[in-house]
Amino acid sequence: MKKLPLEGVRIADLSMMWAGPYATRLLAEMGAEVFKIESPRAWDNVRTLLPQPGAPEPWNSSYYFNDYNRDKKSLTLDLSQPRGRALFLELAAQCDCVIENYRADVLDKLGIGWDALRAARADIVLVSMAGFGKTGAERNLVGFGPIIEQMAGMASTTGYGDDGIPYKTGISYGDPIGGLAAAGAVVLALIARRRTGRGAWIDLAQRETMAQMIGPAFAAAALRRELPTHYGNRDPRIAPQGVYACAGEERWLALSARDDGEWAALARAIGAPELAGMPLAERRARHDELDRRIAAWTRTQAPDAAAATLQRVGVAASPVHDANSIHDDPHLAARGYWLELSHPKMSAWKQPVSSWRLLEARPTPRRHAPLFGEHNREILCGLLGRPEFELGELEAAGVIGSAPVNPGIG
Amino acid sequence: MSPSDSELPLHGTRVLEIGGGLPAAFATRWLAGYGAEVARSEGPEGALTGDEEAFLLPGKRRIAVSPGELRALALAADLVVEDGAPGALAALGLDPLELRRAKPELVVTSLTPFGQNGPHAGWRASSLAAHAAGGILSLTGVMARPPLQNGLQQAWMLLGLNGFSASLAAYYGALVHGEGDWLDVSAQECAAGMLEYVGPRAAYDGTPAPRLGNRVNAIWGIFACADGYAGVCALQRQAPAFLALLGDPELLAPRFVDPVQRVQHEAELGARVERWFADKSKAELLELGAKHKVPIGAVMTPLDLLGNASLLERAFFDDTATPAGPARVPGRPFLGLPWRAGALARPGADTDAVRRAWLGSAR
Repeated sequence: MKKLPLEGVRIADLSMMWAGPYATRLLAEMGAEVFKIESPRAWDNVRTLLPQPGAPEPWNSSYYFNDYNRDKKSLTLDLSQPRGRALFLELAAQCDCVIENYRADVLDKLGIGWDALRAARADIVLVSMAGFGKTGAERNLVGFGPIIEQMAGMASTTGYGDDGIPYKTGISYGDPIGGLAAAGAVVLALIARRRTGRGAWIDLAQRETMAQMIGPAFAAAALRRELPTHYGNRDPRIAPQGVYACAGEERWLALSARDDGEWAALARAIGAPELAGMPLAERRARHDELDRRIAAWTRTQAPDAAAATLQRVGVAASPVHDANSIHDDPHLAARGYWLELSHPKMSAWKQPVSSWRLLEARPTPRRHAPLFGEHNREILCGLLGRPEFELGELEAAGVIGSAPVNPGIG
Repeated sequence: MSPSDSELPLHGTRVLEIGGGLPAAFATRWLAGYGAEVARSEGPEGALTGDEEAFLLPGKRRIAVSPGELRALALAADLVVEDGAPGALAALGLDPLELRRAKPELVVTSLTPFGQNGPHAGWRASSLAAHAAGGILSLTGVMARPPLQNGLQQAWMLLGLNGFSASLAAYYGALVHGEGDWLDVSAQECAAGMLEYVGPRAAYDGTPAPRLGNRVNAIWGIFACADGYAGVCALQRQAPAFLALLGDPELLAPRFVDPVQRVQHEAELGARVERWFADKSKAELLELGAKHKVPIGAVMTPLDLLGNASLLERAFFDDTATPAGPARVPGRPFLGLPWRAGALARPGADTDAVRRAWLGSAR
C-alpha cells in the first residue's frame, strides 16, 4: 500500500480548542503520528464544552472533540510540575515538531519555550499560533476565532448591505483558517529542514492568516483608500447572483449567472425568456427586479430539484446546505465523504474523511479521538522507556491522570 | 534585509500554476513567497481583478505557451496546481494520470468546486454556489433574512488555502518517499468538514443549527460601540472577568456567573452588555480586554489595518508596484522562515525565461 506523505513524522501537540487541533488533525490524516498532550488540571476545553446529558465521562464522549482529534494519541502531563515538564521535553526530543496555540506568554512561563525545546532536540520545529503572534504591540490580546475575524478585517467585508452592520461568519472562522495555515507551516518547515538540517520556530498569528483571506481588499484600501462594500450575496462582476427562498421553511438556493449565456439559460428556466438577451450592465442596474422574478420561480421549487434543473441548462447553482442536510447530500455520499467510526463511549455518527483526497495514497480516518490519557502507558513506557511502576507514582502525584480533575462545563 | 534565493525554504522547487482563477492563484501565492519558482499559465482574460493580481501574483513568472509546451513544463515541474473543471487538464493533453505515470515524483493538485468524481462533479459553480454547498453559508447572517456569504469569494479562498497546505504535504511525501500523488480537493468538502460543533452535533443527534447573526449569547458576539463595532467572546472561564469589567457588582451574582442560570437571564444581561459597549471606543475596549485577559476585539477594516502598529512592527505587509500604483498587501503568512516579496510581472513576460530554464530552449 502506498505510504501517506507524513508517515514517519511525529508531532507533540499542546494545542487546544479548535485552531491547533484542526491543524494536527490534518497532519494526522496525512500520516503523522500526533501525541495530544493535556494536563489533568488543564485539559482541552472542547472535551467538556458541550457535554452529553447524563454521560458518565463527558470528557470522553464529545462529538465536537472527536471530530477534530481523530487519529491522535492522548498523553496527560501536568506541565506545571517539574516531572511533567521533564517528561514533555523527553517526548519532544523524539518528535519532529511541537505545536501550541497558547496565549503568547504561556509556553515560556511553563519553561518549555524555544530554548528549552532546542536543547531537547537541536533541529526541532516549533509552531506557535497565538492569535496575534509572539511579538508586536497587540501580542497580549486574547483571541478566539470571531475576535480574529473582527481584528483581521474579515467581519468588515461581510454584511447585507442595507444596514451597515458587519457580520461574523457563522462558525469561528479564524480557527480553521489558522489551523489550515499552521498545517502548511509545519510541512514547509520540515521541507526546509531536509535541506538545511535546521529546525525553525514558526510564529503564526491567526489574525495574519485570516487577513490573507481578504487579501485583495488590502490592495483596494492601499490603492484607492477603499472601504469594504457589503454586497450581501451579490458580486460586482456577476449579475444576477443571490440566495433565494425555495418551497418550504428555511430552504434556499444559491445561484449565479456568471455570463450572458448563463443568464439566458436562467431567464428561460424561470419562465422569463423575454429577458434572456439583457446585457450585464442592465442586469446589474435591474438586479432587484431580477431577484423578484427569480424568487417567484424558486418559491415553487425544492432546492435540490431547482439546482439540478439549472445545472442541466448550464447555470451555476446549488442548494444551500445546512448542518443537517449536508449529511444527506447525494454527491458527498457518492464520494464516500462521510464515514462512521466506532467509539467505545458513543454511538457512531457521520464524520468527514480527509478533504485532501490523495487519489493514490487514499488517506482514511483510522480511529476515534483518544480517551483522556488513553495512551499514557504506550507513550511513557513504550516510546520513552519508563518502567511500569513509575506510572503509579506519576498518577499519585497528579502528573498524569485518566480523568480531568474537577471537570465542569467549558 | 531580504534573504538570498538559496535561503528560501522552497528554493529549487518548480510549480506550474494552470487555470488562473482565485483557487490556484492563492494556493501558489505563498509557495512563490517562500521561494518556489511558480510559473503561471494565464487563465481567461479578466479572470482576476487588478486588486486580486496585486495580492496573488507578485513573485510569479507569467507565461503564455501552447498546450504541448505546457505538458513539457508540467513534466519539468515538481508540483502542478490547477483549478480547471474536471477533465479540462486532460483535454489540454495533460491527463493527471498520464503525467503521474510519466513522472512518478510529480504532485498534481486539482482544485474544483465539487471534486473529480461523483454526480455533481460536472456542476458549475460560483464561489457563492460552492459556499452554499459546503454549509458555512447557511450559518452566517440572521434567521429573518437569507443566509449570507462572508468576505470576498471565500469558497475560492478556502479552496486555495487548502490547496497550499495539501500540496506541500504531498510534496513532502514525494521528497521523502519518492512518489507524488494526484490531489483532488473540492471546495464543498473543504467547508463541509469544518462546521465547528454544529456539523458534528447535527450528525450525532440531528440538532439543527440556526443562523445566530452577531449574537451567539450575551457574552459572545459583536456589538455597536462608540466608533463602530466591537465584540467579546468569553468562554465560561473568562465570564467572571468580563462580568467584573462591566462594573456593576450585581452582575457577579450567580444568575449571571453560573452558565446554566445565565441562560434564563440572557436578555437582561445582553441589554447590559449592549449598553456597556455603546459608549466606549474600539481602542478603549481593546485596552480593557488586554488588561483583564478578556477576549475582546474590534471590527477593523483593511484600511485601518494598513496602519496597525502591531502588523507594521511584525513587517506583515509587502509593497508591490502595480499598474494602478504602489499597493501594500498581506505578505508572509507566518514568521520563522525566509520570505521574498516578489515583483508583479506583466502577462507572458517570463515565457522565454521559463522555457530556457525549465526546458533548455527558447523560441
